[in-house]
Amino acid sequence: MKRWLVMGLAFMLLAVPSLGSANPNGVGDGTFDTQCGGACHGDADMNQTSSTTVTVQGDDVVYEGLLTSITVNLEGIETTTSGLLGVFLLSDLSGTRDTPGDAGWNIISNSEGGNENYVEIKVSPSQDSRNVTWTMRAPAVGTYQLYAAIHHGTEDGSEAPFFGQSEAPLVIEIVEVPENLPRLTSDFDPITQREVGEVTTMMIETTFVSAVSVEWRVAGSDVQTADITALENNRWSFEVPASIQPSLIEWRVHLEGEGPPQTTPWFQLRSEEVAWTIDENVAYLQSLALILVMMAGFVALQYRNDSSISPSNKELAELEGGVE
Amino acid sequence: MVSSGTLHVVATEMTVGSFAMAGTAFLLAGLASHGVTRLEAYLKHFDHIAHFALAFGLLAMPLAIFSGIQSSPGDGIDHPLLINKLFLSSASLGLALGVLLARRSRGVAIWEHTMSKRWQMLGGMVASGLILLTASIGGTFSRGESLLDFFHLPYDMVPLMPMWLSLLVIIGAVLNLVAVRRSSNA
Repeated sequence: MKRWLVMGLAFMLLAVPSLGSANPNGVGDGTFDTQCGGACHGDADMNQTSSTTVTVQGDDVVYEGLLTSITVNLEGIETTTSGLLGVFLLSDLSGTRDTPGDAGWNIISNSEGGNENYVEIKVSPSQDSRNVTWTMRAPAVGTYQLYAAIHHGTEDGSEAPFFGQSEAPLVIEIVEVPENLPRLTSDFDPITQREVGEVTTMMIETTFVSAVSVEWRVAGSDVQTADITALENNRWSFEVPASIQPSLIEWRVHLEGEGPPQTTPWFQLRSEEVAWTIDENVAYLQSLALILVMMAGFVALQYRNDSSISPSNKELAELEGGVE
Repeated sequence: MVSSGTLHVVATEMTVGSFAMAGTAFLLAGLASHGVTRLEAYLKHFDHIAHFALAFGLLAMPLAIFSGIQSSPGDGIDHPLLINKLFLSSASLGLALGVLLARRSRGVAIWEHTMSKRWQMLGGMVASGLILLTASIGGTFSRGESLLDFFHLPYDMVPLMPMWLSLLVIIGAVLNLVAVRRSSNA
């Protein structure tokens, strides 16, 4: 009994360092209030101020129900050796019910390939600045504010978590859409992710539009023009070429019609390698099966030879303290 | 606070070091038990070193596993190399437990019989080899290279059994253990 108690205590002590860590590998992208994004980082009592400068950039005036881009610019980035940095886009800094969705915004995509307000990015050691962009559909007419916040650990994990936020909010005025404004339809939902090596055909639907042109670019290279095909009922299509490695392609549409010409925000299309997935329960069960079958197999193998040991040898073993 | 990555390095060094020592001692014990010149006198020492190092490696293994899961990027085991690490370390864990159980039930007399001493030596060495292979995969996963790369082992292939087969194997293994236990008590 005492032996099992000691064993149990030893196991607990071995597990404590792992359980005591916060989330050194992050919590993954998601829709989080500041208070919930990665446990304790939103709690002012438990963190220090990050030296990273956070600013939110975007248009001052946006049409109701149309798409717009909001960019969070990070300067003088400070983070851990792994480069993991959590970035929030928020509607206020109250800590709860402060996602853009809570204020009526609808996130269509972000530059990391998701559609959540919280993303975890990897910053390389030499990188001092970074942008994260969200494409969102504007809420009802009114004046809105958007904030950004970040959180991260320290180089050696020895100090409190760090939290940073934008000094000033981005103030956006949402106005009514003019009657004949060339625009994408209100239910347009762009493709934001695809697999490497896959050509993507984009379909767009427009209203009050007579001509369309599309531009696309790979981050850090020149802007290209796509060939666009006009279909029936104000529908258009174009192809985005396949990428040969994981990358981000941005594209936007110029719309012309009776009203003033419009240009959509840059939409992000991220290409990823085909994800490798496995049913973890099956793997853990097979792992247990391997432990048991190897142990049982070896014990049975040695037991088979047990009868061949002469009594004198067993006595010898007992004398040497091997047999209990 | 020490990060899980650092703890993992410490834990794996303890585990791999112990298993490497155990593997060497099992080889020497096997040679000594086969009457290799000038080693026979040290059989008892090799036997103790081999089994103690194996047991210590087993004790250090949980820390290596816990810290490894904590320090791996992303959620869960989402890479073929990690799955293969899990399988290899499980096989080694089971084999090492079997070797220790056999030694516990039969004492030093296990080195007296021709077949039992060969199996004991092989069992200990294979358990150690599997752990070294696991460590090699760890190097491939974290640094993209390892000392065993020249073998060109298919680390990316995952030999996954269906769940029903794993359950069947577990039941068979447990029945086997019970049968051996009953027979030894009889």
